[in-house]
Amino acid sequence: MASAAAAKIAEVRETTRVERIGAHSHIRGLGLDESLEARHVSQGMVGQVSARRAIGIVLKMVREGRIAGRAVLLAGQPGTGKTAIATALAAALGQDTPFTSMAGSEIYSLEMSKTEALTQAIRKSIGVRIKEESEIIEGEVVEVQIERPATGVGTKVGKLILKTTEMETVYDLGGKMIDSLLKEKVQSGDVITIDKATGKISRLGRSFARARDYDATGQQTRFVQCPEGELQKRKEVVHTVTLHEIDVINSRTHGFLALFSGDTGEIKPEVREQINGKVAEWREEGKAEMIPGVLFIDEVHMLDIECFSFLNRALENEMAPIVIMATNRGITRIRGTNYKSPHGIPLDLLDRMIIVPTAPYDEKELREILSIRCEEEDCQMSDNALTVLTRISKETSLRYGMQLIMTSSLIARKRKAPEVDVEDIKRAYQLFFDEGRSVQFLKEYQQEFMFNEDDAIEMDTT
Amino acid sequence: MDWLSQLKSAKKSCMVQNNLKKVHYDFGNGKEMVEEYNMDTNVVTRRAWKVKGEMGGEGEWDIELGDPEVNPTKEQNLIIRENSGQPVVSRRNTRINLEWRIRNLPYPIETYSVTVDNEKNCLVVKTTNKKYYKILRVPELDRLRIAPQHEAIQIAHKYNTLIITFKKPKELLEFEKKVLEEVSKIQPKNFGDMDCKPS
Repeated sequence: MASAAAAKIAEVRETTRVERIGAHSHIRGLGLDESLEARHVSQGMVGQVSARRAIGIVLKMVREGRIAGRAVLLAGQPGTGKTAIATALAAALGQDTPFTSMAGSEIYSLEMSKTEALTQAIRKSIGVRIKEESEIIEGEVVEVQIERPATGVGTKVGKLILKTTEMETVYDLGGKMIDSLLKEKVQSGDVITIDKATGKISRLGRSFARARDYDATGQQTRFVQCPEGELQKRKEVVHTVTLHEIDVINSRTHGFLALFSGDTGEIKPEVREQINGKVAEWREEGKAEMIPGVLFIDEVHMLDIECFSFLNRALENEMAPIVIMATNRGITRIRGTNYKSPHGIPLDLLDRMIIVPTAPYDEKELREILSIRCEEEDCQMSDNALTVLTRISKETSLRYGMQLIMTSSLIARKRKAPEVDVEDIKRAYQLFFDEGRSVQFLKEYQQEFMFNEDDAIEMDTT
Repeated sequence: MDWLSQLKSAKKSCMVQNNLKKVHYDFGNGKEMVEEYNMDTNVVTRRAWKVKGEMGGEGEWDIELGDPEVNPTKEQNLIIRENSGQPVVSRRNTRINLEWRIRNLPYPIETYSVTVDNEKNCLVVKTTNKKYYKILRVPELDRLRIAPQHEAIQIAHKYNTLIITFKKPKELLEFEKKVLEEVSKIQPKNFGDMDCKPS
């Protein structure tokens, strides 16, 4: 009996959490009020008030969509929330505004040149809203069946039964579709539409026939009629696609060769020019609307001088998105040259940017962040333990402190304790070194390691 | 411009393979069509249209007549599709009839009703048990702007398959004769036999 109940709980949890817990998965937005003032703790964001306010203004600029090609630099020490702010901006912008996130090192590839990689990233950040006729499945859900193999591993198999007033059909589901059905919590009695090409689900409401099921109906539940006629219809829907996606559709080799060519690789400039022309035409006809988005380049000091000069030029294009960059470097060598420059970025590009600094967190803020992370990682922690952990984060780093949450919670679970206590933190602190202690250790025992021809060559970190 | 003169003015090319004559029509405005004639009976066995999306790209062939083609690359990234046990419609063409075959329909013949929707000029298949409903367009008649007549419909049910036969009206028969004359004028390029061995 107890095991059956446990199995049920596991199942419930899986339907509510399809995403895994990432470093920034607790962030839901920038945490600003209507007048763009930053609330101290809100939507997973803590402190960094002035930087958040500044990015709030950038958000407004993006939403207005009239300004092209501005650059913003987030500069600050490691672990001061630069990437968190960018993630928050992406969450605040919502689904329909393109947000591309990349690391500076991603552009170095053997498949394509650096400028091609940058161009693709820029074009991924510009959206086009266009009306297109598309195959839509619209019906009332009769049943959702999702089965996994008895062994627990392998692909899930899913079936969906939909009906209208006139007919009923069984559909087979792919893995992506199963995940999004679980995420949307689709259940029998819901009236939904599915875009057959993209698999996008939208819920129209609950069927009137289910109006008497008094359970599980919230206040905002909207009741709709069961659709009529055929399940599958052709309807005009508004899609948001990025310029890069249109490029890919128009450049891919088709037929037999497509099987071997795989990914797109480089896209010819002629194709891009043709698409720019076409998009301009659509805009004039009122068929399409441009949505300039945001390109976020983390670790921007990893770009080299050629990329920077390319960016200088690319930002002047009226099709350019807002570019947000982040770096944790001070005055350092610009990659690909012997010149030193602030943040490793040439002065002419710096001159085109507005710079938003982030400052280290104080102890109170650290505590707040750690407690948010505890909640996110499903970990109960006593007040004393949290205080100790805050101290550790202050002395070492916030990232190390966050690592200790999961490890100490596993240690606590091993001794069957309901919550993490100071001892568990201590134990985890002893088991896992932070960067400072590791350096200390190396200094003491350097003689016994390999290749320790001391003062040999220092690592080039620029 | 009516359909016959559109066909006549289209850029046509054709090839012969075994006893099939494949004719390609390029209408010049991005529209393309392919027809396959059986040389023994002079009846169209397949017809397909090239459909291009708004975004551009190569486009896909939409089979109007004959059996659908399986696209192996598309099968791989499955999002959602009808279960293989669900009803499928395929269209056939004979000398005097247009035919629809709907497979995987196990219900007895009394269940079905096939009527003509005079507003939309199409056929409507309904089931009394509310399991299946389908609107069938008749593109051959649409193109000639002929309204379908209810008297022309006959249905039969065999081996889990509902067969709907629609007797071609006189106008359509005459039109097809004219098209056939047009088609026989095109000189086929023979791709059938290769002179050299490919490998």
